[in-house]
Amino acid sequence: MPFIEFRDVCKTYRMGDVEVRAVDGMSFTIDQGELVVIVGPSGAGKTTVLNMLGGMDSATSGTIFLDGREVSALDERELTQYRRHDIGFVFQFYNLVQNLTALENVELASQICQDPLPAEEVLAQVGLSKRMDNFPAQLSGGEQQRVAIARALAKNPKLLLCDEPTGALDYRTGKQILKLLQDTCKSFGRTVAIVTHNLAFTQIADRVIHVREGRAASIETNATPADALTVEW
Amino acid sequence: MRTRARGGSAFAKTVLRSIRESLGRFLAIVGIVALGCGFYAGLQMSGPNMRDNVDKYYSGTSLYDIRLVSSLGFTEADATRVQKTEGVQDVMPAISCDAVARIGHEQLAVRISSLNVEAASEGEQVNASTILSNNSSYLNRVILQQGWWPQAPDECVISADKDVANTGVGDTIELMYGATDLDDVLQKRRFKVVGTVSSSNYPYTGSFGSTTLGTGMIQQYAFVSPAAFVDDMPFTDLYVRVAGADAYQSGSDDYESAVDEVESKLEGRVDELAQARLGDIRADAQEELDDAKEEFEAERSKAYKKLRKAKKKLDKGLKELREGEDKLVQGRKDYESGKAELAKNEAEAQQKLKDGQKKLDDAKVELQNSQKQLDQGKARLEKGQREYEAAEAKLLKQLGAKSLADARQALESQRAKAAGGIESLTQTREGAKRIVLGYQEVEGQSPQVAKGRAAWEEGVAKLLGGLQAQGMKVSSLDEASEALAQLIAQMKAVGMPKEQIDPLQQTLEAVGELQATDGELARAEDSLKRAKQELDSSQSQLLSGLASQGITANDAQSAISAIDAQIQQADKGISQIEEGLAGISKLEEAKKTLDKSACELADGQRKLNEGKQQHAEGQKTLNQQRSEAERQIADARTKLNDAQKELADAEADLAKGREEYEDGLAEYKEGKTEAEEKLAEGEQELRDAQQEIDDLEAPDIYILDRTQNEGALTYDADSHRIDSIADVFPFMFFLVAALVALTTMTRMVDDDRIQIGTFKALGYSTLHIASKYLVYAGIASTVGATIGVLVLSQVLPYIVTSSYAIVYAVPLHPLPLPIDVGIALVSGGLGVGVTLFATYAAVVASLRETPATLMLPRAPAAGKRILLERIGPLWRHLSFSRKVTCRNLFRYKRRLTMTVIGISGCTALLLVGFGLHDAIWDIIDKQYGPIIHYDTTVGLKSEATTHDVDQVVDYLQNTGEVTNITRVRLENMHAGSRTSDETIHVQVVIPQSSDDFGNAVDLRNRISGQEIQFDDQSAVVTEKLAMKYGIEVGQDILLYEQDTIGNVVGEGRPVTVTGIAENYVGNLVYVGREAWRGVDDAKPVFSTLYASTTPDEGVRSKLASDLHDHDDVTTVVFSDETIEQYRNMLSVVDSVVIVLIVSAGLLAFIVLYNLTNINIGERIREIASLKVLGFTRGEVHAYVYREIVLLALLGDLLGMVLGTFLATFVITTAEVDYVMFGRTIHPPSYVYSFVITMAFTGLILMLMRHKLDKVNMVESLKSIE
Repeated sequence: MPFIEFRDVCKTYRMGDVEVRAVDGMSFTIDQGELVVIVGPSGAGKTTVLNMLGGMDSATSGTIFLDGREVSALDERELTQYRRHDIGFVFQFYNLVQNLTALENVELASQICQDPLPAEEVLAQVGLSKRMDNFPAQLSGGEQQRVAIARALAKNPKLLLCDEPTGALDYRTGKQILKLLQDTCKSFGRTVAIVTHNLAFTQIADRVIHVREGRAASIETNATPADALTVEW
Repeated sequence: MRTRARGGSAFAKTVLRSIRESLGRFLAIVGIVALGCGFYAGLQMSGPNMRDNVDKYYSGTSLYDIRLVSSLGFTEADATRVQKTEGVQDVMPAISCDAVARIGHEQLAVRISSLNVEAASEGEQVNASTILSNNSSYLNRVILQQGWWPQAPDECVISADKDVANTGVGDTIELMYGATDLDDVLQKRRFKVVGTVSSSNYPYTGSFGSTTLGTGMIQQYAFVSPAAFVDDMPFTDLYVRVAGADAYQSGSDDYESAVDEVESKLEGRVDELAQARLGDIRADAQEELDDAKEEFEAERSKAYKKLRKAKKKLDKGLKELREGEDKLVQGRKDYESGKAELAKNEAEAQQKLKDGQKKLDDAKVELQNSQKQLDQGKARLEKGQREYEAAEAKLLKQLGAKSLADARQALESQRAKAAGGIESLTQTREGAKRIVLGYQEVEGQSPQVAKGRAAWEEGVAKLLGGLQAQGMKVSSLDEASEALAQLIAQMKAVGMPKEQIDPLQQTLEAVGELQATDGELARAEDSLKRAKQELDSSQSQLLSGLASQGITANDAQSAISAIDAQIQQADKGISQIEEGLAGISKLEEAKKTLDKSACELADGQRKLNEGKQQHAEGQKTLNQQRSEAERQIADARTKLNDAQKELADAEADLAKGREEYEDGLAEYKEGKTEAEEKLAEGEQELRDAQQEIDDLEAPDIYILDRTQNEGALTYDADSHRIDSIADVFPFMFFLVAALVALTTMTRMVDDDRIQIGTFKALGYSTLHIASKYLVYAGIASTVGATIGVLVLSQVLPYIVTSSYAIVYAVPLHPLPLPIDVGIALVSGGLGVGVTLFATYAAVVASLRETPATLMLPRAPAAGKRILLERIGPLWRHLSFSRKVTCRNLFRYKRRLTMTVIGISGCTALLLVGFGLHDAIWDIIDKQYGPIIHYDTTVGLKSEATTHDVDQVVDYLQNTGEVTNITRVRLENMHAGSRTSDETIHVQVVIPQSSDDFGNAVDLRNRISGQEIQFDDQSAVVTEKLAMKYGIEVGQDILLYEQDTIGNVVGEGRPVTVTGIAENYVGNLVYVGREAWRGVDDAKPVFSTLYASTTPDEGVRSKLASDLHDHDDVTTVVFSDETIEQYRNMLSVVDSVVIVLIVSAGLLAFIVLYNLTNINIGERIREIASLKVLGFTRGEVHAYVYREIVLLALLGDLLGMVLGTFLATFVITTAEVDYVMFGRTIHPPSYVYSFVITMAFTGLILMLMRHKLDKVNMVESLKSIE
């Protein structure tokens, strides 16, 4: 049984009188320890996929499994617990708590889960051991994103979900973040899913899911993913 | 143009959409502006509304503008004179008087006024406060509420506005006495209540006015028809309406100046009016008097003529009578002189006889006395003789002698003999003594001799022994001497050396010595022997001598003791003899005395006998003289008796004549006195009347206006009190409104920053961009202001006026209430202006940035370290959410300010509400019990005597239900200070005894709680009074007397204040007896009693009715009734408390709603992030609410402080002159305010929870477009 499985998942939004079908019969599987890139044009439904996978949104129909658990059947409370213990999120705009330092932002996450990783260690891992006491406003975008990744990792999640993690970053910094995510996956065997519209990222993925008009248009596996630092875009 | 129009509509759409999208925000602004403006407008309109109501009432009932009162009353003529004054529109004369009436079981002060019944009946009531009448001079129109108008002279209508003793239509009012004699005023004493009315002249039901009667307050009023008053009763009041004054609102400056103008005109005519009134009275009276005088003179001359005639007749009779009398008098004189002579002669004779007899009697008595003394002397003598003889016989028998002389001789010889015996015995004793001494000497010497002999014999034995040892055969000294001599000689002869011879020689010499010693010893032994012999013979001689005298003794020594015994015995014998001799001498003396006495007695007896004989002769002579005198007197008496009979006859004749004359005279005199008395009386009456007319002084005419009407004045003051509260209170709401608008609009502008940036980049002007927000804020605030003003300008004045309706009988304006456009515009303008200003400030702040920065999402306010983090240990112990809370508190200062001020406002309002409640109930709770200990006041007539008071006290004490009776003098006066022209009605209490006054009233300082010393020199004023005039201890308070209508008369008398006492109800001055003298030197009667009565309804009503039957008792008041009255009065403020609690709740709701709203809106990404991180619902709530709760707590605490100040302000402002509110806010009120605010907070946060729950992670975290 695969680690993650999407089986015929649909998601429709009602916007006034209009019904928008954001995801329309999405099916794919992901194995444990893989670095997955979900790629597609804007509006293809890739973020919706990520949200449903992360327990932030629920599917209109179909089933989603993670590690043998049917995520699509969880209720509001169970979803909260699911997010709390199983999922780590990284967003395009970091979403750090402005009033907490880098360390505190990480601890904010680690304090609520059962089996956290030491915050300082995680921050050191992402290369921020010297900036732990800075507030987000005092950090650059890349550094903030590193904090966000550290915050996600500190929870020791089963799955790390990243939504356009480099979208707000310059090229060099973006690459470094990408490298960090790749290393996280490779060194710690953590499953990482990255949503992006940048096809260049497919080179570093173990598995690439192309999404188009709410469906998985194609799924390809990459036996020899490239090192993130070598990727050009 | 088309573009603009389209732009315009697009603009409108944008605005409309933003309103729809942020309805909460919009409503928050609407709400707070509505609250601020509405509160301001509503409170500002409350005072004017009250004044408007009362003005309508006054106008509708044609209430007087000016009232004239004269000490001599008025007539129709006066009314006409006043009417002629410029500016006077109408004049209505009326009569009124104050009386104490029995209504139900109570005695109350009632003001009875005449009512123009005809006009009243014709009047037509148009609405609650208007009576129309064709009669324009029908003023002070009365509104009939029930029943019908009084027609008969014994009917009346009473107040419908105050329930006094449950009296209503059909009941009876009985007048007991008045301020002046009621008989001079009213025809009737009993009035039947036929209706109830409202009168605008009495708007204040707390007191209908002041009076000199009872408690000093008019408790009920009544209207009667003019026929109820006596016929010639002058009018007491002239009520005047000022032309044009009605156009202005009563109490307004315009009104006052219109009235003042006419008032000063009338003031200028006062003297004229007074003189005219005086002239009228004088002329009428003088005319009447002159007629009476004339009549009197005629009557008098007639009477005197009659009297003179009678007198002449009498005089003639008297002359005749006098002549007869003179004759009789002469006869009587002669008779009397004869009688007197006889009496004198008789008396002289009698006296002489009496004197003689007296002398004889005296002599007799003397003789008898002498005889008695003699007899006594004889008896004593005989007794003495008997005693003497017995003594003599006894002594002689003792001594064994025949006569005393023999006895003396024998005793004397015995004494000589005894003396001789003693002498020889003494000699014998000497001899014996010598013998004893001789023996002693002999015995002393003989042992010495014996010792010498023994030594000698030893020497001999030794010598002889020695010699014998040498072989010489010698047995005595002589032989030894011989043998030695022989030996020596032989040796010499042999020629023996001397050395051998010498020892022998020496031995020989020793022998010789021994021989010589032997001789001496032998002599001594011999002489001792001889001496002993001699002594023995002397002793035996002595002993034999003694034996011959009968004294036996063994030796000389015992002889001495025997002799001593003998001598002692002899001495005893001698002293016995001496006694015997002394006895004899005494007897001889006694004998001599007895003999002398016997001789004297005999002499006395002889003389006495001679005296007795002389006395008997004298008696005989006197008896002869007496009988002679008696005969002569009897002759003279017979003659006199004849003369007397003659005189008696003459006298009888005269007496008859005199009687006739006397009768005539008496008749005359009686008639004369009667006539004179009557005439004098008449004359006096005429004089008095004249005096009265002459003394008539121009009356005092007082010109009063509505400001002197207690009810109108209190009402006006209360309405202005609301104004002062209205000036302060809404300030807070405006402040909060501004803050809410500012934060809300800032938030809105921030939300739109990208849009603003776009507009700005497109080249729109700042104003154009700002206009959207200004229009938004403008719409919100205008809607809010309109709603607020419309609603609260109805609700608040309604609550205020209907609250005051409890104490004021002023008809309320029917809903809807009029809206004062000016106030509405001002308040709306303020509300809208403040909001627009805040909005503009927020927009301008954003627009200062360049379009480029505006296009970017606003950098979230940077996190900052706060001071608290420097305290490492504390900081480290906080969880992250707490750290965020702390940092956030100081991150958004505007919101902090808004929330703290808003919440503190909420707490403050609650505290004002509860504080007001405390202050009001403290009035009763602290006044009755802790300060006023008595619960019963019994007042006696002011002219009651101490005896009357004693009787009442006795009665009270005998009931057993009344304790702690304290006597005081109660005076209704006015008080003022040196620094103020104003005076205020006070009750002056003068305790009879300052020592036990503490039983009735506790005088203490409010702040320190310390007892205030009160003695006879003290003067203690109550706190409110002291505060009003700024009087401190040591300063003077001025006390003024007042007249029957409560006006100050005379000069103020200063009293030095010695203490300021806590007091809540009324203004009082407690004056010690001594200090009171400085005000009034008349001896005060303590005619009011304070006491404690068993709190039992039955006991009290019986007591009250018993006391009311007592003629002198005027008032019986139980404090319970007063307390009930105050409870009613003060419940006014309780409804204000509810208003305050409601507005506090609204305030808290708007502020917290807004705060939460902004908090969520501003931090929506943060909240979404937390949710994504897996924070549970509860954790998210806590994360956001923690800081709101903290801010609310902060505001709550600040509100306590703010509220304390605000409450103090409101309490002191809301106070009336007559009452002091409690000055402390009770601790529970703080607790309530605190808890209720937090409860409001909790409630609002509960309601806001769903908004947090609704935050959508996906939406919120979407990439920013």
